[in-house]
Amino acid sequence: MSTSTTVAEPKPAPGGRSPRTSSSRRRGADLVVRFNLVLVFLALCVVASLLAPEFLTTRNLSNLLQQSALTGIVAVGMTLVILTAGIDLSVGSVAAFGGMTVALLIDKDINFLLAIAVSLAAGALFGAVMGGLSAYLSLPAFMTTLAGLTGIRGLTYLLTDGEPAGGDIPHAFQLLGGGFIGYVPIVGLIFVAVAVAAGLLLRGTTFGEYIYAVGSNKEAARLSGLPVRGVITAVFAISGCLSALAGVLLTSRLTIGQPTAFSGLELDAIAAVVLGGTNLFGGRGGVMGTFVAVLLLSVLRNLCNLMGLGSFFQMVVTGLILVVALVLNMLIEKRGSRA
Amino acid sequence: MSPHDTAGPATGRDDTPRLAMRGIVKRFPGTLANDGAELVVRPGETHCLLGENGAGKSTLMKILAGSYRPDAGEILLDGEPVTLTSPQAGLAAGIAVIYQELDLVPDLTVAQNLLLGHAPSWGPVVRRRQRAELARAAVARVGGDFSVHTPVRDLPIAAQQLTAIARALTADARVIVMDEPSATLGESDLRTVFQVIRSLTAQGRSVIYISHRMDEVMEIGDRATVMRDGRSVAVRDLATTTADELVADMIGESRELVRTTDRPRPEGRPLLEIRSVRSPGLIDIAGIGVRAGEVVGLAGLGGAGRTTLLKALFGDTPATVSVALDGTDLRLNSPAAAVRAGLALVPESRKEQGLMPGLSVARNAAVTALGRPPWLFPRRLGRRLSAPVLTGLGVRSSSPDQLVGKLSGGNQQKVVLAKWITKGGVRVLLLDEPTRGLDVGAKADLYRQVRHLADQGVAVLLASSELSELTANADRIWVLHEGRNVACFDPRTTDETTIAHTVITGATPTGATPPGAPS
Repeated sequence: MSTSTTVAEPKPAPGGRSPRTSSSRRRGADLVVRFNLVLVFLALCVVASLLAPEFLTTRNLSNLLQQSALTGIVAVGMTLVILTAGIDLSVGSVAAFGGMTVALLIDKDINFLLAIAVSLAAGALFGAVMGGLSAYLSLPAFMTTLAGLTGIRGLTYLLTDGEPAGGDIPHAFQLLGGGFIGYVPIVGLIFVAVAVAAGLLLRGTTFGEYIYAVGSNKEAARLSGLPVRGVITAVFAISGCLSALAGVLLTSRLTIGQPTAFSGLELDAIAAVVLGGTNLFGGRGGVMGTFVAVLLLSVLRNLCNLMGLGSFFQMVVTGLILVVALVLNMLIEKRGSRA
Repeated sequence: MSPHDTAGPATGRDDTPRLAMRGIVKRFPGTLANDGAELVVRPGETHCLLGENGAGKSTLMKILAGSYRPDAGEILLDGEPVTLTSPQAGLAAGIAVIYQELDLVPDLTVAQNLLLGHAPSWGPVVRRRQRAELARAAVARVGGDFSVHTPVRDLPIAAQQLTAIARALTADARVIVMDEPSATLGESDLRTVFQVIRSLTAQGRSVIYISHRMDEVMEIGDRATVMRDGRSVAVRDLATTTADELVADMIGESRELVRTTDRPRPEGRPLLEIRSVRSPGLIDIAGIGVRAGEVVGLAGLGGAGRTTLLKALFGDTPATVSVALDGTDLRLNSPAAAVRAGLALVPESRKEQGLMPGLSVARNAAVTALGRPPWLFPRRLGRRLSAPVLTGLGVRSSSPDQLVGKLSGGNQQKVVLAKWITKGGVRVLLLDEPTRGLDVGAKADLYRQVRHLADQGVAVLLASSELSELTANADRIWVLHEGRNVACFDPRTTDETTIAHTVITGATPTGATPPGAPS
């Protein structure tokens, strides 16, 4: 197969802006790919508001944002990892560990800000170790983080012998996970802030560009002199840190640390990342897709709740939506690359 | 094994061509890939198919294999018109295509690969002994002497190639298409494949051989069809044709190759001093110097250590390296360290090692240039830095945003080069087989750019298995043999045959500079 437009002579472009027919078509296709998900999301919202009048109430919407925020924060970290062609299966365990440590530390009368900092650092350290093992010893991240999934969960149980932790938690700390500014949940704002920051990191910093380069072709990135192993270690550290943040926020909302929390979180996060159009083999995608995908999955769950459909039914619908969205994405992308 | 297995000359009368493709037209959206292409192959001949990249060779072969349906034209096999609707139909008609990327399953054994999909069996139970016998016969037929129980992954490339050929033959092939086998083979392995080709044609089978390398074509081919712009422009009897005539047919106009002989030779002490590079069992190199502005060629058979030397210099393979740049000792323990020291590598495989195929041209060309404060806005910075470089190299893309994977081979290789020019500060350029798979025009273009860099004071180390490219483009040529540098030649005073002799035998002739002598 050949593309007719590949042999256009380079036009002198003093302003750096030459007419680019093929590129603008390509961009158009990219936008369709991106908006495809947004369109599905909006359509789902319309359907939801028609089927369940309660859907469009501020109360419901702010609940929805609060519920999706924690998964969303973890999914943002997961997006970075998957962009480097890695995978992080340990996020649920790291989140639970983060939630437990913050509760235990606060229980010991340590300032809650310091407790949060320690918790996040522990999460980042776990991530860095797993990512570093994978980067420096060429172990598959699937395996190192699978070991983390089991090992860190066990460690979490060991902290209190499986009992929930905490209880006497300062009000200021509770606001973080459970508070609202007007109708807007603070966790929702944190989710948005994390997503925006990750988006800026990816598009606006050299580190972000290296993430794409490593994910697109690790070998070529290495032979270009890029710090490939550092980049991989760093994204896992970020993912671990964000997971711990999700754990901290959950502890804040529940006012206790739950060692059993967040089991299966990794699959929800991966589902959102892939639904958001990030390529599982790395190099392509971004945070905005993940953001919309997280909301979409929440709306779906919310709609099922409002309509009184059981959780079994919800799971089936979620699975179906995932498959349909992925097929649609693939078809549109194929079309786009042919143009 | 089928009874038609030995397709002898008896199956076709001598005046009936084994294969005739006539008036083949194939249109893709926006391009006319084949525009009345003709190909006539006689029984028992090796027919070379030549043409620059994009001339329509691949399309024509895919039509022959049954992968594409032609828009017009007919295909006759031994005088019988055939319609090939699928690769299976092509195989059934006796057409076997051995692609450049061998389509073997690496973890299966030779026997499993050879009889994949048609293993002898009782119901679902494979008759292993019979399968091994069939496989052994097939391997023997192509002159292989490796065990059929070896996993293909563990075989040398030449044996893998033979396995692929053997598999094509189990399917009772009358016409065997070989797509650039030399792209993956070293010189000595190529000999083995050539022997097999000769024994195949002696059995009356026909071989269509696609290659960019003129010396191979002249050696193995009986006749050649040259394609240009989707048409067959010449059919030549190779016994009475020179390589220059073929090249002229291919490019359709005379194009100038930059010859080093016209240039003044750089003088002075070397910029890059390779005192020793050692890796037990692999290489033992000592005393190669490259001056600023000099292009030093590395010649040698496959496995002679050219790639290993370049990788070692680039910090990409464990080796004991003693190297100085401009008098300062270098510690090269990683590619990143080498890059910081001012080294740049254009690796052997541009797709796997050189480029990020999912990223745009501009992002690829600038990825090396972003590691500088304030570490912000890489895409804007990259676009600004790479734009003049891409223009200067004449990279043809529809826009800097085009995915680099969609460019032609020559343009992709230029983007790999652009990566280093955009970075700036390159003092030593290491090139490993930079023209592999490029057409004649793209090769000349690439070497012009390399020469241009050398003229700006870069020391260039150029490894190539095409000696003629080295003699045309290098100021000096070091011959590596079995991991050692055995002799250094001046291509202005030494003819190619002498150098080729050393490449094959490793013996230092009189007149060459032996290692250790001041260069």
